[in-house]
Amino acid sequence: MAASESSRYLARSLPRAFVPTVRPQGLCLRRNVSGQTAPADLNELESATSLASMASSDAVKSFDPIARSSQRKKQLPRSRYQFRSPKYDRGPLHPHQPPPPSDPSSRLYIPGPFSLPRVEQTYQSTVASDILTLCYVHNPPGFKPPPKAARLRSWDDSSPYHKNRPLRGPRGGDVLRLLRKPINFNNVPKLERITIHSYIKQAAQENSSWLHVAGMAVQAITNAKVETFKSKTSVATWSIVPGRDTVAVKAELRGEDMLHFFGKLVDVVLPRIKDWEGVKGSSGDSSGNITFGLEPENVALFPEIEVNYDMYPPKMIPGCHITVHTSAKTDKDARLLLSAMGIPFYGKIVN
Amino acid sequence: MSFSLPLRHSAISAARVQTSTTFICSQCRHATLLRRPKRPYTFTQLITLSDGSTFTHRTTSPAPVYRSTRDTRNSLLWNPSSSKLMNVEEDEAGRLAAFRAKFGRGWDAKTPTEEESSKTPEQMDQKAEAAARAAAEEEEDDNLLDLISSFGQEEEQPSGKKN
Repeated sequence: MAASESSRYLARSLPRAFVPTVRPQGLCLRRNVSGQTAPADLNELESATSLASMASSDAVKSFDPIARSSQRKKQLPRSRYQFRSPKYDRGPLHPHQPPPPSDPSSRLYIPGPFSLPRVEQTYQSTVASDILTLCYVHNPPGFKPPPKAARLRSWDDSSPYHKNRPLRGPRGGDVLRLLRKPINFNNVPKLERITIHSYIKQAAQENSSWLHVAGMAVQAITNAKVETFKSKTSVATWSIVPGRDTVAVKAELRGEDMLHFFGKLVDVVLPRIKDWEGVKGSSGDSSGNITFGLEPENVALFPEIEVNYDMYPPKMIPGCHITVHTSAKTDKDARLLLSAMGIPFYGKIVN
Repeated sequence: MSFSLPLRHSAISAARVQTSTTFICSQCRHATLLRRPKRPYTFTQLITLSDGSTFTHRTTSPAPVYRSTRDTRNSLLWNPSSSKLMNVEEDEAGRLAAFRAKFGRGWDAKTPTEEESSKTPEQMDQKAEAAARAAAEEEEDDNLLDLISSFGQEEEQPSGKKN
């Protein structure tokens, strides 16, 4: 009875929202310690809600975070612990391991992408579906493809020495070509990377300034840092010795950089080349990578080089080879992709 | 016992070979410096093509706008069917057309000229010729359509015979 009395007081002192109205009071037979609070304690509770804003007006007026931060001489310390990647990779057995390059705290982390390139939008909206349609092969229901022979032939056991030998290579050459699977919605060919490579023979014959200029030019047109390479072969007429002379510059583009480069190459640079027929139809390494070359005067047509053409010594602007690596397995598919993206081909098309 | 002798010989020779070439294979693992990748600063540039269409791209060039005079929109290689970009010959008197009508071949006769649009009574016979040519082309198209529509019919016919 005492419990029910106190709960009645509780109901009166609390706001209506807190009162449990679902359960009738008389039927409650359970007794809780929390229910036995003296009503005198409840009177000490504040009547006003704490959720209402209570800030005084002068405090509001003096609050000026921009002025405070500009007055500050030093930067504030970091509020939290920040992981710093080790500067050196000390091997897989070292206890202090650097994080993977995809981790933003890694020293090798490259942020991005920051934009959705036009080439990517075109590819997603039109090119991919077009290729999928063009490469569609209809098989009626119940169709079974004829069984193909194994790519690696087995030895006929005409000789006892054939036992435990590895399988023979394909007929007519030792090269095992890539296997072309039928093109589906999930393996539509796309651009994977673009390699821009330029071989500068004068870097070995004269001085390294040729290499520096070529590196700067390639970096300007690609938005990527270039790598330099030493020659592997000796060219006697150019007095190039393998392993001694640094003669080549290469930039490898992936992702956003690649798409921006491809877009500007196709839309701006290639149409301005004088008497350009297109990419030769026989180019390609028969596994879906197409290469074509640009002369030095064509490289000078890039808007980045044109905008400060005076920076480069005009003789030293390099020509370059551009290799477009696609995920297509054959040159035919790669050529289909590239011609859909705007690169014209001429001459005999070799697949 | 007969084969123990050559075995020993080979073992001795192998030992000699090993001693002659001192191949030092001690593990050596220096720490490799993890260099931060250097990326050139890039700007956003607006490219205006010759027909007025624009798009932005990231580039090392600091110029905010690039206007191109020659691009895919007005070069013949990308627009092979555009009559604007082809050099159309000026043939006021119709003499070139007449020559072509007399001596021209199929590929030559199809060359578009400026006077095709303008109609003059002198060129009525040429018009008739053009109509005949168009009819011939249509026939070709029909033949091609026949070829397409007859595809796969040959397989059905023998089956019909069987039935």
